[in-house]
Amino acid sequence: MSPQTTSPALAGLDHPPAFVDVDGLRTAYRRRGNGPPILFLHGEQLAGRWLPFLEKLAGGHDVIAPDHPGFGDTPMPPFLAGFDDLVLHYDGLLARLGIDSVHLVGHALGGWIAAELAVHYPRRFASLALLAPSGVRLPHVSSIDTFRMDGDEAVTSALNGRDERYAELFAPDRSPEGLIRRFSERATSARLAWNPRYDRKLDWRLRRVAAPALVLRPQEDRIVPVAASVRYAELLPDARMVTVEGDAREPTSHLMHVERPDAVAELVAAHVAAHA
Amino acid sequence: MHDLDFYVLLDGAYPWVPYAGKRKSNYIDLPNAHYDRVLGQRVLEDQLETLALLESLGYDGAMVSEQHNGPIGVLGNPLIAGAWLAARTTRIRIAVVGAIINDYLTPIRMAEEIATVDTMTRGRLDVGLPVGHGMQYHSTGVMNPAHARARYREAHELLIKAMTEPGPFEWHGEYFQIPYVNLWPKPLQEPHPPIFIPGGGSAETLELVAKHRYVYQSVLSPRPALLKTYQRFRDLCEQEGYSADPKQLAQVIEIHVAETDEQARLESEGHSLWQYQNFFRSPMHDNFPPGYTSPQSLAAMASGGYRSRPMNELRWEDLVENHWLIAGSPETVAARLRESVEESGAGRVVLGFNAGSKSRWLTQKSLTMFAEEVIPRLRPSGVPAWRHQRLVGYETNAEYGAGRPAAPPRPTAAGMVDGGLVDVSSAHIEDLRSPLEPWPANGGR
Repeated sequence: MSPQTTSPALAGLDHPPAFVDVDGLRTAYRRRGNGPPILFLHGEQLAGRWLPFLEKLAGGHDVIAPDHPGFGDTPMPPFLAGFDDLVLHYDGLLARLGIDSVHLVGHALGGWIAAELAVHYPRRFASLALLAPSGVRLPHVSSIDTFRMDGDEAVTSALNGRDERYAELFAPDRSPEGLIRRFSERATSARLAWNPRYDRKLDWRLRRVAAPALVLRPQEDRIVPVAASVRYAELLPDARMVTVEGDAREPTSHLMHVERPDAVAELVAAHVAAHA
Repeated sequence: MHDLDFYVLLDGAYPWVPYAGKRKSNYIDLPNAHYDRVLGQRVLEDQLETLALLESLGYDGAMVSEQHNGPIGVLGNPLIAGAWLAARTTRIRIAVVGAIINDYLTPIRMAEEIATVDTMTRGRLDVGLPVGHGMQYHSTGVMNPAHARARYREAHELLIKAMTEPGPFEWHGEYFQIPYVNLWPKPLQEPHPPIFIPGGGSAETLELVAKHRYVYQSVLSPRPALLKTYQRFRDLCEQEGYSADPKQLAQVIEIHVAETDEQARLESEGHSLWQYQNFFRSPMHDNFPPGYTSPQSLAAMASGGYRSRPMNELRWEDLVENHWLIAGSPETVAARLRESVEESGAGRVVLGFNAGSKSRWLTQKSLTMFAEEVIPRLRPSGVPAWRHQRLVGYETNAEYGAGRPAAPPRPTAAGMVDGGLVDVSSAHIEDLRSPLEPWPANGGR
């Protein structure tokens, strides 16, 4: 485990992926640590990154962090049209890795995917942790249109304007390859969630989830309205919502697990331990 | 100089809006509180009445476009304007460039509308098939940029097949599954109205146009890129086994004519800059929302192609240099236009006469001067192309009588005389009311 400093050390970010064939799709994933298995599903912005938060979790868990189809080093398969395809993909991944029971953790878009997985396989997951999840309908809250942000603006918004502190993590790749990669990942997001930008069936279906859920919300989220976390906590039958706190002058952001890797990892680890 | 067709495009922009430079863009989310209903009526009437005037001025075609959720244009469905123009004109070509096929839930609906308007115009319709600006993909809830190209390709294929192949047939595609494609009505023009495809130089679009022998309408390409694109198009046509007809290349140029070069600039500079800085301004990620174009095209554009330079930085000299604008006295405009199309090889020009904020009288002054003093310099007879062409269908009852099919099925009904099938078109005459054939009383069950 990397030593923790006041400014989070971003060690191991170039950790190379392993690959596994999932129903014909060469899927990139990173896997470190020993202990109860955790499947971590990344958000839209941080595919392919082994974050200090994950390194911390890997201190006591077997952490599996795949790149979603169409993100990072996993290619976009032609069949990908919706979340049902991702649900089947992750069922296939777990089967391929020989993992029966697993704790499910997802951030933002990854939280949405995790929720869909838990809806479709309500008894497969020992616990569920959603970090600033997107995907529920919020009829009375103004949407935040991330499809109309350019890459820099999205990073700035995700960190409440404190992105310069994490320049190492978000150093923009301005090469044609970097441009193509970002555009392609956003195109995958559009395939999944251009319209509608939520799954209105979750309103009804989330009651199927049997796993105990922890919903972690930041103090100020400029990417996914905090109301989404609140709504998940309302809809999930066995859910607890915790606010990840910053200090008085700096309310935590959408990327709270980047800003507060220790605090978020400890909350997730305690939730996993309580439902091992 | 080669023969040239003169089309005029009027988008019908709504100019009474805040300066777009104060916002990211005037597309998508400019509050429609800025839309005044009376001013809106004025915009639409300026656009339509000016288009209706083009025929008597001697232009070859009148063109409209589809725009959404912003002041760029007031025609959400340009085929409606096509229907209006069908009733107000008799000979000029009507170019609807065009309805955005991805904005339809099914291309069959669009095929029906095309067929109707083509019949109303008596075969004067040209149809454009734009993919639509990226900005258009935000507002109707049926378009997803990640599927824009693939859905467009399939919709195009289905649209053409519906208009040209006998129905019913089945369609089993990725985006459309239709048990009975069976188009009623069919367009009047055979096999279908000419197709224009607007494009910014992408290889996919050029290949499609070359393969199907359509018209390529270049949009906002810098001059060197446009010349390269046209050459690539001619090469692609050669690869398809034919030589490109100059009429397959439609060059879009903004025009203003006045008494002197100086006067032309005085009259039009402000309006031109209004257009580029307000009408076209939008950030890259709105122009190219996720998946809207292939990653390869995106990388090529990022290194200097379509709209690689912010529109609000363009000045008069840039517009002139790129041949996006030709303004001046009749002599100057004729000379520059001749030079421009002789170099590019375009056989059609699509002329923008109203940059959006120009008043109707000023637009019509420039249009009239162009018609009377520029066209004759480039087309010595002055006679529009449509004067040499016959309309499709019929023009008089006598022609209808002479030209209709000899023996279509007769309209029949049973149950009037002895249960037999009677020709109802003559059944009001006692002597002619006799069964053509017997028909069982149970209706044939």
